[in-house]
Amino acid sequence: MSFLSREATVAKPGFNRWFVPPAAIAVHMCIGQVYSFSVFKKPLALLGGSWSEANVGVAYSIALVMLGLSAALFGKWVEHSGPRKTMLASAACFCGGLLIAALAVKLKLLWLLYVGYGLVGGVGLGLGYIAPVSTLMKWFPDRPGMATGMAIMGFGGGALIGGPLAQELMKSYGGADAAGPQMAMIIMAGLYAVSMLFGAAIVRVPAPGWKPDGWQPHAAHGLPEGTVSVSVDTAWKTPQFWLLWVVLCMNVSAGIGILGQASPMIQDMFKVTPAAAAGFVGLLSIANLAGRFLWSSASDLTGRKGIYCVYFLLGAALYAMVPWTQGKGSVLLFVAVTTVIISMYGGGFATVPAYLRDLFGSYQVGAIHGRLITAWSMAAVIGPQLVDRISEAKKAAGVPPEQAYNSTFYLMVGLLTLGLIANLLVRPVDAKYHLKDSDPA
Amino acid sequence: MKTVTLLIAWIWITVPLGWGIYQSVQKSLPLFGIEPAAAAPLPAK
Repeated sequence: MSFLSREATVAKPGFNRWFVPPAAIAVHMCIGQVYSFSVFKKPLALLGGSWSEANVGVAYSIALVMLGLSAALFGKWVEHSGPRKTMLASAACFCGGLLIAALAVKLKLLWLLYVGYGLVGGVGLGLGYIAPVSTLMKWFPDRPGMATGMAIMGFGGGALIGGPLAQELMKSYGGADAAGPQMAMIIMAGLYAVSMLFGAAIVRVPAPGWKPDGWQPHAAHGLPEGTVSVSVDTAWKTPQFWLLWVVLCMNVSAGIGILGQASPMIQDMFKVTPAAAAGFVGLLSIANLAGRFLWSSASDLTGRKGIYCVYFLLGAALYAMVPWTQGKGSVLLFVAVTTVIISMYGGGFATVPAYLRDLFGSYQVGAIHGRLITAWSMAAVIGPQLVDRISEAKKAAGVPPEQAYNSTFYLMVGLLTLGLIANLLVRPVDAKYHLKDSDPA
Repeated sequence: MKTVTLLIAWIWITVPLGWGIYQSVQKSLPLFGIEPAAAAPLPAK
């Protein structure tokens, strides 16, 4: 039995489960760096040749697509191998990807940046995203929403750390020339490796049959908790999986559209300074982070279906209000409304693993989550494109910049309504899909 | 001993997260017309 095997991570009696959230967050706050990759765009664009900001940004898109694909492809391996081996593999890929990216900068090879940060690093993202989440849910069957909220909050926090850290490092090692980004990537790879290995060292899985002291599984969907077990290969053939896929895709598309365009949007709509617009982006990041923990924790009280109804109904109402805040000329109202919208975007991300667990059980929930994450990859492409293209078309048609985003907001209302319908259609998984005792485990 | 280890584990994640949140709060101050605290100048190389 090796140190990395699943068996070696089974907790001994008396193990304190509160060790597991720091292990999960230690990994997520590193891989969350991907959200702040844009800080490298301007310095890398100075390398000249094909290193334009747009071309550098492609590495980010590849990384996000690879996140979804690797989570979907390796989900079963993750469940089989256990969290320690997966976290180690994630650290090797993610930090290795950063090192390859640094080499790409040194050699001025754009394709190597795509391979390093995009392909290799992206696989690290996918592995590192699902393993801690599924482990935490097994430790906190009494509060799965709070558990997934903690881990996925760490991912949001990764952006808050990665952006300023990269900027400070670039400032210290040569500023805007190639040496700055290169050294920043090397040092970040080292720091992230230490943090991720720390997470891998302290992570544990509960022994079979373990449950929190004094906690009794309650009946959900008419079945005692813990009796619903659906395998990943069966789960994605159920309508529930695809309804949740639509739920996640709509929730993320609606939020990511605003997040990606936040700075130009507030400058166009309210004529604020670029510094104030950057402040708006910072505020949205905090709302995104807080929403992941708070809304997901609240879902333990309201139920997952209920909280998604809140995300979609309240989100649609708030989106419909945005043009009105612009008409009133109230920046404060606009900021308040968008902050709540983005907090629910974060909440949607964090709640979905617990929703999967409610429907399919915790047997292969990590692998099922992995396949569902393809909805995020799809939304990461659709959302920003929708906002970009529609607002640009409106501006080109002569609509004043402050009103160019209104159609986008109404479109978001439409997307959220679609998500609401999908959510309302979700029913408990039919018993014919449940794992039978005779099925191979 | 276990409590100390648990404390270290939580400090390990809360310190960088707290730093990241502080950076974002600093960044958001201009939105409310507040000047962020000036960073100390770097020593001359």
